[in-house]
Order: sequence, then structure tokens, then C-alpha cells
Amino acid sequence: MDLNNPKTAQAGTLESMDCVVTITGPEKNGVIEITGSASARFETVMKKVINETLDGLGAREPVRVHVQDNGAMDIVLGARVEAAYKRYIGEFTR
Amino acid sequence: MRRTMLYLPGNNPNMLLRGHLFEPDGLVIDLEDAVSASEKDSARILVREALRRGEFGKCEVTVRINATDTPHWRDDIAVVVSCGISGVRAPKVDNAQTVRDIDEEISAVEEKSGVPQGSTKIFCLLESALGVWNALDIAKASPRVTAILPGGEDLAADLRTNRSKDGVELEWIRRMIIVAARAAGVDALDTIFPRVNDDDGLRKEAGFVKQLGYDGKSVIHPNQIPIIHEVYAPTEKEIETARRIVEAASAAALRGLGAVSLDGRMIDAPVIKRAEYTLKRAGLDCPKEG
Repeated sequence: MDLNNPKTAQAGTLESMDCVVTITGPEKNGVIEITGSASARFETVMKKVINETLDGLGAREPVRVHVQDNGAMDIVLGARVEAAYKRYIGEFTR
Repeated sequence: MRRTMLYLPGNNPNMLLRGHLFEPDGLVIDLEDAVSASEKDSARILVREALRRGEFGKCEVTVRINATDTPHWRDDIAVVVSCGISGVRAPKVDNAQTVRDIDEEISAVEEKSGVPQGSTKIFCLLESALGVWNALDIAKASPRVTAILPGGEDLAADLRTNRSKDGVELEWIRRMIIVAARAAGVDALDTIFPRVNDDDGLRKEAGFVKQLGYDGKSVIHPNQIPIIHEVYAPTEKEIETARRIVEAASAAALRGLGAVSLDGRMIDAPVIKRAEYTLKRAGLDCPKEG
């Protein structure tokens, strides 16, 4: 874990029913931040989706996940987290 | 039925998850032109999740993959075919070899992912003069091919012209493709109508391709769907004639007769098939044989 060399990756859009997921790391501890009109109401569920997605991808390194939500359903949030994380670890070369 | 096949941008959750609510006959989830090169990876994941969710109403679900001259098409096939879709829409098909390459790739993914062999069909977009010229070979290149379609914009560019209001530049292309499709026993589907606010123009073009024998059109805006369905809806007279043909054929089959006549005219299998299709387009069931 090299805390002096932070990386950032992003996926998604601010279109309706979408969200922008930004992953920054490495961090000392994992952090999830959610903003958006309905973030307070669905925060618990959204955090669960994010954690399950990262676990499913085998993510071990603690990262900061920021979600700017615009009404994304669970499957959209999960897809954007997966894309952002794969970009973060360099699995996707764009 | 494939009267209307609505394009949905593969990286747009709103359209991707709600497009079927407009009740087209089919969906074409687009991973090609509607998705920028830098977003192909993210769109592919989103499309995979939408396909796994599988809430598309009664629509036939297809995905337009990227062309075989790009680095994306194999990844597209790997992801979408393993989800068990109806078919892939392959762009820029110029010759039979392209179809065989796609067929081979699909077969490998079907095998690996447990999807029934041969269940994923191929819709071939013919977007160059060479592709149109090879239409029959392309349509017969694989049993997976279920339809061939003219491309609009790319084809116009390859012909060194542009899309005109009356579509004269595509007139003979459309005639060539319908003949090739019927000769090969596959569907002919028309290209999109680009002017989304020109309802009269769309009605006229849909009427023209319907008369040529096309099974339907590609659609880029939900508002175009009811107009095309209206054009493809059979008239009362057509429905009545079709109903009488199907009933006469059923009655003859019950009596063990091979041939049947109605109003002094022999009715053979293609006539019965066409009548059944007319009833289907009218949303009516065919009477079942006893």
C-alpha cells in the first residue's frame, strides 16, 4: 500500500437513473461517501451494494468510494462501482 | 414479429431499463456507435447487469456489438452471449467470412457458458456497397443469421452520397436486400428513419418498405413505434380474408384434405402462412387444429 501515490478512477454519468462513482486510494481505512437527492434515504442499501460489489471483485486495499447519485438503481450502482474499481486497478486500459 | 426494433444506448441506464415500456417488438442495446471508445468497458458491465436482470417485457432482446475490425467485438460477445440473448446485431458485415468469424466466437461462448448451441442469432448490418452486393452469401453464411439490414448513414457515405428526404439513394439497396433475404429464408429489416419529428415522412417510408416485403424497421425514438405499428397493422378486409383462409385450412386439415379452395381459389401453404402472419400482426390467435 503506497499512501504517497494516490490513484483516482471514475465511472458513470450524472444522467437520470445514473451515478458517478469515484474511487481514490489507497486509504488507511475504507470510506464510502454518498451525495445526491435521495442519498440519505437509501444510504444503507447503497453502502451494502458497494461493499458487496467490492468484495465480489476481491478488493482488499482500502479505498475511498464517492458516489454522486442521480437515482441509480442497485444494478446501475453496482455496475458503476465495478467499472470504477476495474479502472482503478488498471484492469481496463482505455 | 420484428416490426419495430428500438435502439437503446448501452451506457444510458434510463433508456436501457425503461426502453421496453414503449412496447417495441424488439430492443437493440447498442454497444457500438452510441458508446464512446473510452466508455466501452463501463457500458459492457452495465449492459451485462441489465441483461441479467432480464426485465424487458415481451421484447426480443438483441445487442449491437462493435465491428470485427475493432478490439471490442470479442469482449462484447463474451459478455452478452453468456447472458442468453436472442441475438447480436453485427455492424459492417461485408462478406460471409465476417459472419463465420462471429459465428465461431459465439459458438465458443455458448459452449463455455452453457447457453444452448445455436440459440444466439445474428442480425447482419450491411453498411457498404460490398456488403450489399454480398447480401445473399452473408445471409446464407451461417444458420444463425436471422435477418439482414441495410445500414443508413454508413451506406450512404460508401455510395458517395447522403441521406435524402425521399431516400432515393437507398431504393435499390432495399430491393436487393429484400430479394437476398427471401432467397436465403431470413428476415429483412429496414434501417432507421433519422428525422424523429417527421411523422409523415416516417409513415411514407414505412409504407414503402412494408410493400417491398420488409418485416420491420429499426427505430431510434419511441415516438416512431406506434406509427410503424399502425402502418404494419392489417386492414379489416385483410384480417377477414386471413381469418377465412386459416379457418378453411384448419377445416380441410380436420377432414384429412391436403388441398383446400376458398372462393374458387386454391390455397397453398405459403398463402396460409401469410394469412397466419396477418392475424398475428392484428394481435389475433390462429384457430388450432382439432
